Order: sequence, then structure tokens, then C-alpha cells
Amino acid sequence: MRAPDLYRVLLWCYPAPFRREYGQEMLGAFHAELRDARRAEHGLAIWASAAIWARALRDLVPTAFQEHRHVLMQDLRHAVRVLRASPGFTLVAVASLALGIGANTAIFSLLNNVLLATLPVREPRSLVLFTDPEAQGVAAGSQSGERSLMTYQEFLDLQRSSTTLSSAMAASSSLHRVQARLDGAEPEEVALSLVSTSYFHTVGVPALIGRTFGDAPEPAEGSVPQAVISHELWQRRYGGRADVIGRAITLRDGAFQVIGVAPSWFLGETVGQRPDAWLPLANLPTILPGRPWLHDVPGTVEKVMWLHVFGRLRPEATADTAAAEANVTFQQGLTRYYGTLPDPKARQGFLDQRLRVRPAANGANALSDFADPLWVLLGGAGLVLLIACANLGNLLLARTTARVREVAVRLALGAGRGRLVRQLLTESLCLAIAGGICGLALAFALRQALIHLLIDPIVLPATLDRRVLLFVFVLTLVVGLMLGLLPALRITKTPVATGLRDQGRGIAGSAAWLRIGRLVVVGQLALSLPLLVGAGLLARTLVNLQRADLGYAKEGLLTVNVDAQAAGYEPARQAQAFEDLLARIRAVPGVRVATFSNNGLFGGSDNGDQITVEGYTPKGDGDRGSSYDAVGPGYFSTLGIAVMTGREITAQDGAASAPVCVINETFARRFFAGRHPIGLHVTQRYADQSHTYQVVGVVKDSRQNRLRGLIEHRFYTPATQPAASISSVSFIIRPSGDGGAVLPAVRRVIQTAEPRMQVTRAIALADAVDRRLSQDRMMAQLSIAFGVVAALLAAMGLYGVLSYGVARRTQELGVRKALGARHATLIRMIMRETGWLLAAGLVAGGALAAGAAQLIASRLYGLSPADPTTFGIALAALAVVALAATWLPAYRASRVDPLVALRHD
Amino acid sequence: MSPRLAPSDDVDSFLPLPTAVFHILVALADQDRHGYAIMQDVGERTGGKVRLSAGTLYSAVRRMLDQGLIEELRESPDPASADERRRYYAITALGRAVALAEARRVTDLLSQARAAGLIPRKL
Repeated sequence: MRAPDLYRVLLWCYPAPFRREYGQEMLGAFHAELRDARRAEHGLAIWASAAIWARALRDLVPTAFQEHRHVLMQDLRHAVRVLRASPGFTLVAVASLALGIGANTAIFSLLNNVLLATLPVREPRSLVLFTDPEAQGVAAGSQSGERSLMTYQEFLDLQRSSTTLSSAMAASSSLHRVQARLDGAEPEEVALSLVSTSYFHTVGVPALIGRTFGDAPEPAEGSVPQAVISHELWQRRYGGRADVIGRAITLRDGAFQVIGVAPSWFLGETVGQRPDAWLPLANLPTILPGRPWLHDVPGTVEKVMWLHVFGRLRPEATADTAAAEANVTFQQGLTRYYGTLPDPKARQGFLDQRLRVRPAANGANALSDFADPLWVLLGGAGLVLLIACANLGNLLLARTTARVREVAVRLALGAGRGRLVRQLLTESLCLAIAGGICGLALAFALRQALIHLLIDPIVLPATLDRRVLLFVFVLTLVVGLMLGLLPALRITKTPVATGLRDQGRGIAGSAAWLRIGRLVVVGQLALSLPLLVGAGLLARTLVNLQRADLGYAKEGLLTVNVDAQAAGYEPARQAQAFEDLLARIRAVPGVRVATFSNNGLFGGSDNGDQITVEGYTPKGDGDRGSSYDAVGPGYFSTLGIAVMTGREITAQDGAASAPVCVINETFARRFFAGRHPIGLHVTQRYADQSHTYQVVGVVKDSRQNRLRGLIEHRFYTPATQPAASISSVSFIIRPSGDGGAVLPAVRRVIQTAEPRMQVTRAIALADAVDRRLSQDRMMAQLSIAFGVVAALLAAMGLYGVLSYGVARRTQELGVRKALGARHATLIRMIMRETGWLLAAGLVAGGALAAGAAQLIASRLYGLSPADPTTFGIALAALAVVALAATWLPAYRASRVDPLVALRHD
Repeated sequence: MSPRLAPSDDVDSFLPLPTAVFHILVALADQDRHGYAIMQDVGERTGGKVRLSAGTLYSAVRRMLDQGLIEELRESPDPASADERRRYYAITALGRAVALAEARRVTDLLSQARAAGLIPRKL
């Protein structure tokens, strides 16, 4: 390739207008320079030519960049001028985009926090988790297969023996809310996270002020009464003062000294939890008295699994090697603990457990349930944004079509089509960027509104991180390009001659615009229908859940939870204490009936054990276990659950009487089909312990824990019999009238009779059930909002296209009227057009809706994804909205004055 | 008589001038030239210390035309030249005033440096 040809190639780095203007000159000058350089002496000529090339190449990038920037600034100035010339359109466009981009950003930012964001700790990718990141709470007993949580002893074994981890830490999987005095003030509730002393060292988070627990070995119980408080607590209760170090946090059974404050960006290792303070695990006896959770008690098979265990991998180690090593240690611990069980089958079952190691860059997650709904909502918000962009794109296309003569003139004067396309895209990008900036600001508010739609506000960091900003940037860019695409395509298809002949009416392009506009409207209708169907399905699901038959009337029922073990009661005293309290509660004015149970109603806990049933041979694993609850006298009559045969548990079923149980009808159908269950026996087994109960009654099925799913087989035992061995109960109270005064009165009775026994939860059952529905409520409310907005946007698009169509046919309509066409005929003519558009949109939308409904099938309750009523209502709603949007253009068409129309130009 | 400046021309707003712009104005101060002639003149006048590439020159020319510091001639100033492909540029009154202002600015800097003893009276 010759030198000038090579230089010609380099000139392509400059923008086309600059190239067209100065390219020949530049080529000529460069060629002349090289020619003059070659005239020098031979050796010098080579150096001179090389110097010319070096100069050209060195200056290429900065000068090309300058010229591109110049063209961009020109386009930007032009775009701003055009947009300022129509402030109304610009405002509506920016507002629509801001709402659409803001909604999508708000939902994505929540998704980012819930699923994607890594912990703000040192090298999060080298952290691993030995437990299930979604597990929470406390599980007492055993677990087969992959372990969800670990015991304190198992953590210590892992920490001491590991060679693949540079450090390991444990943290309680749930926060513990206790009453505490901060610096001697009035008691208030604080949320505590119990952690190993290696916690902050392992995650790599230093104290903002003061210090953390260091990296010392785990201390003896009660020997480290220290606390690291959160930044939020420090600001809220201590005014952000440095003299917080050394202050006291006093609980009922002990005091702790503040030794440090965590940085503001660290909220703990579990997404969705926000502890007020971190305390060493060794302080458990002070925080939760009576809970022997720091020990795997020898001689029993009751392990208390309540900790998440994290480790930081050494540079040379991998997750697989850490897992292999940890499982060796884990199995050794299991063998020590369960190895002495006499029953080999039971022993094998207990030994069949293992640890699974997962990457822990995202930490543990208390909000994983929210991920799927958020993805669904993001899809809905994305559809709404798409529909809004279609509307705006149509409007931009209409504006461009109206300027077709201007475009043709510019083309005739030598403007390149590429330049015009770029100017149009710059206009649409300006709109999108303005919408994106406003949308980002709106996202903060929308995000907070989303969080407040949930009854228990999610505790999430307030900042938007780089991933969210990138999302906004990409979304804005895509929106801008989509908006400009239709007008840009229009421009590239404008023949110069045709455009110059246009007399300012834009007729040359209007037919094409109408065609495209109609296609866009059909698309908008098609996209709106899945949103409306989804909204209908989720709204009806919410109603079905709210009306779900629990098997008893939930209205009016109150539940009050107390914990005797935390109050320091001996096991032998606990049952009597509960019976005494029940008697006192029943005597409270306004209490009609009352009872209690171990797990309460919709409190989030349940019991389950292996069972054998007299005369029944198990057919599979589902027949070997059952959920159960220990209940007080009059449990079923208090709730209003009908006894089908036999009797319920009464006050006579006490410690001295024969062990009895009541079963639900599903249990009777499954295990006693064709037999009368009364008098037969159910044996409950746990390791080497077993208790046999005589069935004394069968009750109707009811729900104590879950609203969804089939009701499982279940049995109930008397809470006051020794086999139950319960340490906490939930009192269930049905007031005689308005229960407003009953709850405070019950609290006072408990406080007076048993001052040490704290009320851990007091709530109306209706409210407890309502809290379970917070996610479904959020989904229903937001999807209704999306559906309504989408339908309105589609209607606006339809109105715009039809209005333009009517305006374009003014002469034709005038002629028809002059020839005798009646109003009704003209209206019918326009409505028929709509009918075709609507039909096309509904057919396409129906197919989309059927597919989209399958995506949310798992969230539905009481209806199928193809529910015909919901589809029918959504179709009808969209049709009504579309026809309403058609009415005005049709009416205007019917009112055209023939004389005016025939003069119309 | 050279054309007057328009009242709206703010000469000081152009200062300090980029090096390439100043040299182009100087090259056009005594005669109108085409692009390559400007490049040659700048190179010769500075003894080869300042050499403008075609990209630098024409990018500056485009800016200077927009700013009104130079103008493009409709006809070649040298009727005898057969080269009609080349475009010739001339300095405008504004360009001349701006070049003068820049020269004065640099002279002031030189005087201040001399007064401070940084450089001798005669370099």
C-alpha cells in the first residue's frame, strides 16, 4: 500500500463532515511533505519521512478526538434547541422516561442488595460459608443430608482443626431482640448478633473507633462482657461521640462494655439483618438465660443448630479442599456424639450428615424469598418502560415525519443521511439522559416506597452502588437508541425528490407513519395484556389468601408468647407455671376462652418427629414422620376447630394421666383408612426416645403455620404431660367483644404473676397472618399499578394514531358527509379500524399473557395460571380502555364540517 | 485600511492562544497562504522547532474559521498559480488583533521574568 493510500485510511478516524471538508487538503499537504522530505540526502530522507509519519500518528488521536467532540457538541446544541422549541412534549417525554427508568432502577437496586451485591468486607471472594445462606433461626434435634446450620461445638472443632482456612468465624443466624438499658436510660429493644471473637478479623472489618474483639481463641462463658455497637446505634443513641467507648449496655442478667463502633458501611454478614450490636457468643447465658446452646450435651441426641459458620480461604486453598477437610472433622464430631447410640439404624441416620461449602462473597441472606418477586416486578416494570418508549417513539416519528420537507432540503444541500440519523439519535439520547438523571433521583424515593410496602421494612443499605449506576446507564442508552430508531429508519427511507415535493403536510410520510404507528399500537396492546392478566391473577391470589380457610375463625384471636426457659425456670416448674398463667388469663375480664400451645399460630416454628402408627405399614418416607404440636386444655374449642369423633384434650390430660393424642382428619385418612382410630396408638420416636399415645379424638383439618400448600397430617399432644417437655408457649385468647383492652390486660397479668417471664410476642392472629402476606400484597399492588399504567399508555398511543388518521382523512370524511353519510356511519367506520387493531393486539397479547402467567404460576393461590375469569376481565378492561380512547377521534370524525373539510389543505 | 473589529469581538477571550493557532496567524500575517504553505512557513520560521502535522493544522483551521480569526478566500491570491485545488486562507482583523494581543501577553511575561532576574536582559 502506498503512503497516500495509507494516510487516506487514517483519515477515516475523523468525523465524516471534517473528512469531506478537509480530507483532500490534508492528503495533499501530507503528500507534499513526504515529497519534499525525499528530496533531502538519502540517509536524511528516511529520517525525515519517519518524522512526518510519527507526527501524523502522534497527532491523529487528539485531533480526531477534538473533531468528534466538536460534531457531538453541535449535535447536542441542535438537539437542545429542538427540544426547547417544544417544551410540552419534552416535559411529558422526560417525565414518562423518568418514571419508567426510576421504577426499573428502584426494583433493580433492591434486587442488587438482595441477590447480587457482595459484602463490603476485605476480599469477599475468598470467604466461604459452611452452612445454608438462607437458613435462619434455631433447630433443635437433628438433620439429615446437608446441614443448614451448625452448633457452637462443631464450629470450635472446625476452627481448631482447619489448615485450609486462615480464619473462621461463627454468627447467630437470627438476631436476638432483648430489652436493654443503654447508659442507664430507660429499657429499649436492641437487636443483638452473637458472634465468635474471630468475627471481625475473619470478615476483615476494622472498628471505626475503639477496637473489635481481636483474634483471640474463643473465651470461656461469660468472660468477655464486651460489645461492638453499630454505627447507626452510635449516631442515634450516643450522638456520634467518641466517649462511647467504655459505656455500659445493661441487660436483665448482666452488663457489657462498649469497646468499639463498626463502620457505617458494615451491616453484618447477613443481608436483611441490621444488628445494633455484636457480642461474643460466650455471653449467651447472659443474653438468653437457660439456653444451653453453647454445648452439645453428651448423653442426649439433641443438638442445637443455630450458627452460620464462615471461613476465609488461605491463598493456596480452594473451596473443595476446605470442604473435604471440614467434612472429615465434622464426621469425627458426629461419630463422637452419636456413636454410642444402641440402635444401628438410628445411628446411621444421624451420621448421614455433611457440610456443603459455598462461596460467601454475598454473605448469608435473610431476604432470599424476595428475589423471585423482585425479578417478576422487574419484568413488569421493563414492559411498562417498553410501552412508554413505544409511545414516545411514535411521537418522535410523527414529529420527524412532519419535518420531512426540512430533511429533504438538508439532504439536497449535501447533508449526509448518517449525519441526520446521528442528530436524531442525539435528540432521543438527550431525552433519555434527562429521563435517566431524573429517574435516578426518583429511584431513591421509589425504592423507599417499595420497602415500605412491606410491613416489616427490609433493612438494606441506602446507597446505590456501581452495579446500579451501570444498570441506569445501560438502560438509558438502550431507551435512547430505541426511541431514536423509528425516526432514524424513517429518515433513511425519505427519497429527496419526494420530500421536496411535499407541501408541508407531511403527506409523503404520513401513510408510512400511520402504518408503523398502527403496528406500534398493536404491540403496546399486546404487551399491556400480560400485565393486566398478571395483575388480576396476583390480586385474586391475595384475596384468596386473605380469605383462606384456616379451619377456624381468625378474627379476634390474640396470641401472647412467653419463654419460661429464658426466664430461668427449671423444666419441672415450667408446665405448672403455664397452667397457672392460663388460669389467670382466663379470669381477665373480656377473655371468653383461652388456651396455649408450644408453637402457637403462624409464629414461624413447628415440631416434627418420626412416628409409627399401630396397624399401619409405611409405604414411603412420607409415612415415617409427622408434624405435631403440644397444646393446652380446650385448644380446639378455643380456636373453634370441630371435633369429628372422640374428644379434645382437656385439663384432665395432665402429668399423671395416660398419654393421649388427637389427630387431624388428614392423619386419620392416611394412617387409619377403613379403621376407627379412637383407642389405637401413635408412637413418636426421636433417636432412642419414644412416646406412645392413645388416640382420643379426630379433629377437622386446620392451618397453624402455612397458608399455602396442602394441609399435612398432624397430631396434638397435651402440653402438660412430661413427654411434651416444652419451655415456651403461645397463649391463644378469644375475647368476648372488642379485644382492644384484652392484650394489655393479659400482659399486666403475666408481668404481675410471673415477673421474670418476658412476653416475647403479642399480636392479633389476623395481623400475624397479614404479615405473612406482605410479599403477596406488594406483588399485587405493584402489578395492578403496572397494569393500569400500561393500559393507559397503550390507550394514549391508540388515541394518538387514530387522531392523526382522522386528521389525515379530513377531506375524505368531508366528502362522505357531503354525500350523505350519517354520524353513526362515520363513527362505526373509525371504530371498525380500532376493532382490527384491538383484535390483533388482544390475540398477540393473549399468547404472551398465557406464557407470562406460567412464570408466576408458583405464586398463585386458589386459581390456575389460565384462569378464564381473570383473562376475561383483563381482555374486557383493555377493550373498554381502547374503545374509550377511540371514542373522541371517532366523534370528531363524525362532526367534520363538509365545507371546512373540502377546503382543508 | 484594515477592517475594523466589531464591538462584540472580545480579543482577550481568546487568550492565551494555543501554540498552533498563534503560529498560523503569524504565517498569515504577511500574506495569504494555502495549508501546506502555512506548514512550511511555520517550520522555516521556527527553524524546525515547531512542525505542524496536517491533522493539527486543519483542525486548528476549522476552529479558527468558526471563530472568525481567519477566512477562506474565494479565489487564489496568486492568479499565476495553476493549483486551483488548494484553498487559501487569510487573516481577519479579529485574527490580527488577537495575534497582537497574544504577542503583547508573551512580551509582558518576558519583561516580568527579566525584572525578576530570571533571565538576563539579552538572551
